[in-house]
Amino acid sequence: MADRTRREFWESLPFILPLVLWVAVFILVPVLATLVNSLFLDVSFLPIRWLGPENYRRLLEDPGFWQALRFTVLFALVSVPLELAIGFALALVLNEPLPLRGWLRAVVLIPWAIPAAVSGRVFQLIYNYHYGLANALIRQLGLSAEPVNWLGSEPGAFFALVAADAWKTAPFVAIILLAGLAAIPGELYRQARVDGAGLVQRWRHLTVPLLRPVLVVALLFRSVDALRVFDMVYVITGGGPGGATNSLSLYGYDFFLAGDFGYGSAVSVVLFAIALLLSVIYLKAGRFAKELR
Amino acid sequence: MTRQTGLFMVLLLWLGAAGCPRQDPAALTFAVGGAPAELKVWESLIEDFQRQSGIAVRMLRQPTDSDLRRQALVVPLQARQADPDVFLMDVVWLAQFAASDWLEPLQERMARDGIDEGVFFAPVLDLVDRYRGAVVALPIYVDGGLLYYRRDLLEKYGFSGPPRTWQELVEQAGLVQDQMRESDPEFSGFVWQGAQYEGLICTFQEVAASGGGGLTAGEGGLGLDGPANRKALQFMRDLIHRHRISPPSTFTEMREEEVREAFQRGAALFERNWPYAWPLHQQPGSPVRDKTGIAPLPHFPGGQSVSTLGGWHVGISSHSDAKEQSWALVRFLLERRTQKRLALELGWNPGRRDLYGDPQVLARHPHFAELRQVFENLLPRPVLPYYSRLSVVVQRHLNAALAGDAAPGQALRAAQREADEIAARYEKE
Repeated sequence: MADRTRREFWESLPFILPLVLWVAVFILVPVLATLVNSLFLDVSFLPIRWLGPENYRRLLEDPGFWQALRFTVLFALVSVPLELAIGFALALVLNEPLPLRGWLRAVVLIPWAIPAAVSGRVFQLIYNYHYGLANALIRQLGLSAEPVNWLGSEPGAFFALVAADAWKTAPFVAIILLAGLAAIPGELYRQARVDGAGLVQRWRHLTVPLLRPVLVVALLFRSVDALRVFDMVYVITGGGPGGATNSLSLYGYDFFLAGDFGYGSAVSVVLFAIALLLSVIYLKAGRFAKELR
Repeated sequence: MTRQTGLFMVLLLWLGAAGCPRQDPAALTFAVGGAPAELKVWESLIEDFQRQSGIAVRMLRQPTDSDLRRQALVVPLQARQADPDVFLMDVVWLAQFAASDWLEPLQERMARDGIDEGVFFAPVLDLVDRYRGAVVALPIYVDGGLLYYRRDLLEKYGFSGPPRTWQELVEQAGLVQDQMRESDPEFSGFVWQGAQYEGLICTFQEVAASGGGGLTAGEGGLGLDGPANRKALQFMRDLIHRHRISPPSTFTEMREEEVREAFQRGAALFERNWPYAWPLHQQPGSPVRDKTGIAPLPHFPGGQSVSTLGGWHVGISSHSDAKEQSWALVRFLLERRTQKRLALELGWNPGRRDLYGDPQVLARHPHFAELRQVFENLLPRPVLPYYSRLSVVVQRHLNAALAGDAAPGQALRAAQREADEIAARYEKE
C-alpha cells in the first residue's frame, strides 16, 4: 500500500511540480522578498541598512497610513456587502427561465469585462461637475438648480467610488453565484415542494445553505479585491479630496515611485496581512474546508 | 517515469527556451513617452540620428502619464539594468535619480566636446541639472507657469490689459464672470490646477512665492507654515469659495487638461497653465483662437511674478553599457537643429536659449519672445531626493484646505509636521 502511494506520488510529481514552482516563483518568493525588504532601510538614494521593525513602528505614527487604512477598510466594509446583495439578486433573476436568458447573462457580464481604468474614466465623466451625466440628471429631474460637486466632499467621493466599484463587480458576484445555483439539483426543489415548502422556505433551507461555499468564495474574492483597490481610486479621485480616498495600495505605490522601497514594502505587508487574516476568517466561518472534503 | 511524463517535460523545456529573449547588445535603448503626435516626431528624429551616426537605437515607448513613465524607469534603474541607456525625466525626479547614482555625470564629455553651458537657461542648469556640482542631465524642454487671458473679453469690458496683481485678477474676473454668466452659466473667471496632484504644488508655489512665501522659505527641509503661505492658501481658497471666480470642481477635477479644456471651450477668462496650451488654443477650429494672450502670472502687492519651473530633461543611465553612443544621442537631441525641429513641429519650448530669438521660430510662435523673459526667472520646486514624498504630503494638505476641510493655517501646520518627519527620516542618514 505504502509502495503504491509512493509510486503514485512520483508519477504525479511532474504534473504537480509546474504548479508548485509557479506558486513558489511568482507568489511565495515575491511575498517573502517584500517581507524581508520591509525590514530594511531600502531607499534608492541612501545606503541600504538593516532596520528591523522600525518601518512598522513608523507606520503606527504615520497619519497618512491611518487615513489610508481607514478608507480601505471602510471601502471594503461598504462595497462588498452591497456588491454581494446586488450580485445575489442578479443571479436569482438570471437563474429563472427567462426569454433571452443566455443573452441577458452575457450583457450582465459586460461591466466586469471592462478594465477598471476604463470604467473609472467613464465614471469620472459621469461625476464631472460641468458636463457629467449625474449633474445633467439632477438638473433634468429638477432636484437642484446648482450642479453637485460629487467628488468634492469626503462622503461624496467615498460613495462615488463605492458606486463605481459596485457597478463593475456585482456582475462578477452574480456569475459565481449563478454557477452555484446551477449546481443545485432540481429534484431537491421538486422534493421540497412535494413536502409543502413555500418559496421563502425553499430559499432559506435549500438555496442559501447549498450556496454557502460559493458565497464564501465570492465574498473572499471581493473582499480581497476591495482591500487592494487601486485603479478605480487612481483614476476617479486620485486619492482626493485631501487624501480622503487614499487607499492603502495607492499609498504604498507612492513610496515605490519615490524610491523608498523598504517603507512601501511595509505598507504592502500590512495590506497582505489584513487580506490573509480575512481569508482565514472567511474560510473558517464558511466551514469551507469541510465542504470541500 | 512514464512516456507521457517524459513528453511533458520535453514540452516544458521547449516552452522555457522559447521564452528566452534575444537582444541586440549593440543597440541603444531610448525611453521616451508622450502623446501620439510627439512619439511620431521622436521616431523621425531617431531615424535621422541612426542615419547620421550609424548607431542603432531601440525606442522604448512610454505612456503620456508622468507617474507611469517614472515607474517604468525606477524599476529597471533600481535593478541595475543596462537598458534603457538614455531617457527623459521630469524636472522633479532629477534630485532623486541623481542621488540614487542612476545618472552618468556629463560634465567631462561636455568639456571634451566643447558644449557651452551658456546656451541653456542658467537657473535651469544650475538649480536642477547640477547635482553636487556635476551636470547630470540637460534640459530638452523648459516649462513655466503662465497666465492665459481672453484678450477679446478684457477689451470688451474696458480693461487695458491683463492683471498684474492678484487683486486686479479678482476684480476683472468677477466683473467679466457676472456679465458672461447671463448667457453662459458655466463661465468661470479663473481656472487653475487645484486637484490633489503635482500641479497643485506648482500653482501654490507660484501664488505663495509671489507674496514672499514659497516651499523653501525654511532652511534644510520645507518652510511651509509662514504668514505669506497662509495668506496665499487662504487666497486660493477664497477664489473658489468667497470670490467664486473658480469653479467648485477646482479641487476635485482641475488638472492641466481639464483647465485647458475649460479655457479652450471659451468658458473662462483667465487660465493658469503651461506653455503647451498655447498651440492648442491657437489651432484651427479652437473657439479661443486669436482671442488669447499670455502674460506673467500676477503677484501680491510688493511681490513679483513667479513661475514654477517644469519640463523634461535628458540623462544617461549610470548602468548603461553604451555610454559613448548614449552621449552621441544626447548631443544630437540638444543640437540647435533638433531643438528647432521640436520647437517648430511640437511647439516645445527649447532648453536652448538661442532659439528664442530665431526668426523662423518666432514667426511660427510669436509668444516665444515673452516666454524667454519668463524662463530667465523660473523657480524650481525644492531640489531634494525625497521631494516626491514631500509633494504627496503637501498636496494632500493643500487640497484639504481648498476643499474647506481644514483651515489654511491648520493645513500648513499639519503639512509642516509631516514634512519635518520626512526630512528627518531621509536626512539623518
